[in-house]
Amino acid sequence: MNQRTYGERESVDFVIVGSGAAGGVLANELATAGFDVVVLEQGPWQQPTDFTHDELAIERENGMLNLSVEAIQTIRTSEADPKRRNTGRALAYRRGVGGTSVHFAANYWRFHPIDFKERSKWGSISGTGFADWPITYEELEPYYTRVDWEIGVSGAPGPFDPPRTRPYPLPPVPNKSSGVLLERAARALGLHAQAAPHAILSQPYDGRSGCMACGRCSYYGCEFGAKSSTLATVIPKAVATGRCEVRANSTVFRVATNASGRVTGVEYWDKNGKAHGQSARAVILAANGAETARLLLLSTSSLFPHGLANSSGHVGRHIMFNGHSSTFGRFDHPLNEYKGVVATRVIHDFYDADPKRGFYGAGGIDARFNFGPIAFALDWAPPDLPSWGSDYKRMLREYYTHSFRFAAHITSLPVPTNTVSLDHDHKDQWGRPGLCLTYQEHPDDLKARYWFRERTRELMEAAAATHVWDQPVLPIDGGVHLLGTARMGNDPRDSVVDRYHRAHDVPNLFICDGSSFVTSGRGQPTMTIQALAFRAAEHIGRFARSNDI
Amino acid sequence: MTNPQSSRRDFLADSGRAATAAWLSFHLPWLASLASCARDDARNNKAFGTLTPAEASAMRAFAAQIIPSDDGTPGAEDAGAAHFVDRALGQPFFADNLPVIRAGLADLDARAQSAGERTGFASLSRVAQIAIMREIEHGAFFKAARMLVVIGTLADPAYGGNKDYAGWMMVGIDHRPSYTAPFGWYDAQASADARKGVA
Repeated sequence: MNQRTYGERESVDFVIVGSGAAGGVLANELATAGFDVVVLEQGPWQQPTDFTHDELAIERENGMLNLSVEAIQTIRTSEADPKRRNTGRALAYRRGVGGTSVHFAANYWRFHPIDFKERSKWGSISGTGFADWPITYEELEPYYTRVDWEIGVSGAPGPFDPPRTRPYPLPPVPNKSSGVLLERAARALGLHAQAAPHAILSQPYDGRSGCMACGRCSYYGCEFGAKSSTLATVIPKAVATGRCEVRANSTVFRVATNASGRVTGVEYWDKNGKAHGQSARAVILAANGAETARLLLLSTSSLFPHGLANSSGHVGRHIMFNGHSSTFGRFDHPLNEYKGVVATRVIHDFYDADPKRGFYGAGGIDARFNFGPIAFALDWAPPDLPSWGSDYKRMLREYYTHSFRFAAHITSLPVPTNTVSLDHDHKDQWGRPGLCLTYQEHPDDLKARYWFRERTRELMEAAAATHVWDQPVLPIDGGVHLLGTARMGNDPRDSVVDRYHRAHDVPNLFICDGSSFVTSGRGQPTMTIQALAFRAAEHIGRFARSNDI
Repeated sequence: MTNPQSSRRDFLADSGRAATAAWLSFHLPWLASLASCARDDARNNKAFGTLTPAEASAMRAFAAQIIPSDDGTPGAEDAGAAHFVDRALGQPFFADNLPVIRAGLADLDARAQSAGERTGFASLSRVAQIAIMREIEHGAFFKAARMLVVIGTLADPAYGGNKDYAGWMMVGIDHRPSYTAPFGWYDAQASADARKGVA
């Protein structure tokens, strides 16, 4: 893409680290507001023509993650345990322009007012850093609306939705058979189905194509530009301003600071491992809850011996992934869930936590079957049926197109000892410490996953499946939602950034991505990450104009 | 640093994998190389390149019992899964697995011979083949070979298996680049009911 370029020594207004859901929005907002912006992205700049439907490469070999730099990750359940290789889900995110917004499923639930003040309503929870956010839903609502209209969100109002000031710009995508069965089950149980909102265009919008229902949203990049990733939406607009350079294949390894404790720019490696620097008036980290925390922890100096912006010791703490549980079912007639978006209907009757359940935990339930045939045949087929031979083949023929699952998306509590930290024992090819996940699921989170699995099973039975099987509730070893590791708050002693995403310790360092989250929400964080980014950009621009950075 | 052996072991580990992994990298080059091999072999009409003729017959027979063609619809044999397995095992990525597969295929023939068959596993009756596979179905060879057969049946045809979309047809996928609603029976019914004014 033709774009303006900036010299490394040229001090731009902002360097943004990361070009994903938050970084892309911040880049376009600040460049449009007249600032000079350089975005550093560790992965490549792929185009829709680079994306394929190749299940072996994408789902089994992590083709979309662009692991050209070896991702060293270890895991343990407490600091007393030895670190071992994380061969599970790990801290999963895409390297590449557009970040994970390129290959996510694009479920775009807003948070509800309760999400921002739940500590006040519910009370404290033992073993956690459960807290209110320093902002409210009402403050964030205008920015949710900007996300709807500026990137393109399809949906329709539901009975439990929070207030909105403008309708959705686009109607919902067409319902699928799993959505019809969700409606049937919800009616039978007295629950309420509603159309699931998506950052996917149900119709042409803003010069982009509508969804072609190819069936490859989750894990895959959209070949039609219908998924509202930042790659397809705000990044081209940012570049078109003539005030934004997106520098791909650029891995930031340090945020540079001076003797007065201010940030002066960043240092990064190009794709050949050659070190470069980029000066800036201010730095914005939007590298996701894993990489943002790692970068802060790596950027030590005499003024910041425990990592940059870490006087609270909270950098890397409180990691939340969102819990999941699900129940599968097989039906008499074909559903053909390999077509269309991931999930077209959702149930939000359980959005609020309820003390009567005996634990803290809440979530939403959708209907989906996001598996290619290889994944289904090897990993997700009913465990009580044969795994080879004539009966296995009959199962493949009778189940792949006739099955779906009810999937619950659930709160995770912010536990201070659940952390992302540097692993100095395991380094990558550039000598950078690996990422260690220390995680022990809070008992309420585990109870919530079992409680929701009872709900998904009831729903599957109410939908009249001919065969029902549960997904096992397994220990959490990572996830794709990387939340809470540089949390927002008013008190510098127990938070990393303030209500405007400015680091409490460093006046010209801002952090805005999933790491800013105080609580986890109910399982679909990206809409909120982008609303925060729109809001942050407005305030950061205001500070820059008044020389307050 | 990269531990290629661990990566290979992970690939063939018969466990549920999400679409994510850690410590794994440089996997895609083996797929690109595999696809390029498949193209060359198709152009040259080449059959088996890694497995010996005896190993290849045992592999084909094994694959045909993992996903049989006995009900009149395509199975692993029709999809050319054994050819996929042959080419995959020729990739340096699988160098450490090749001995396990070779030993497993030789073991299938040895078991056939001890059951009185002179030529090998492939010549046995279906029932006898299944009986032998039952004996070894919990072993490392079986798990790795089964996984490769399933992938060879269902992966993109660019890799040399799933010939003429046989695997996708078998599971019921109507392979197209895009679709329009209705997608399945239940949403079609719901649309029809809505048109008729049925709640």
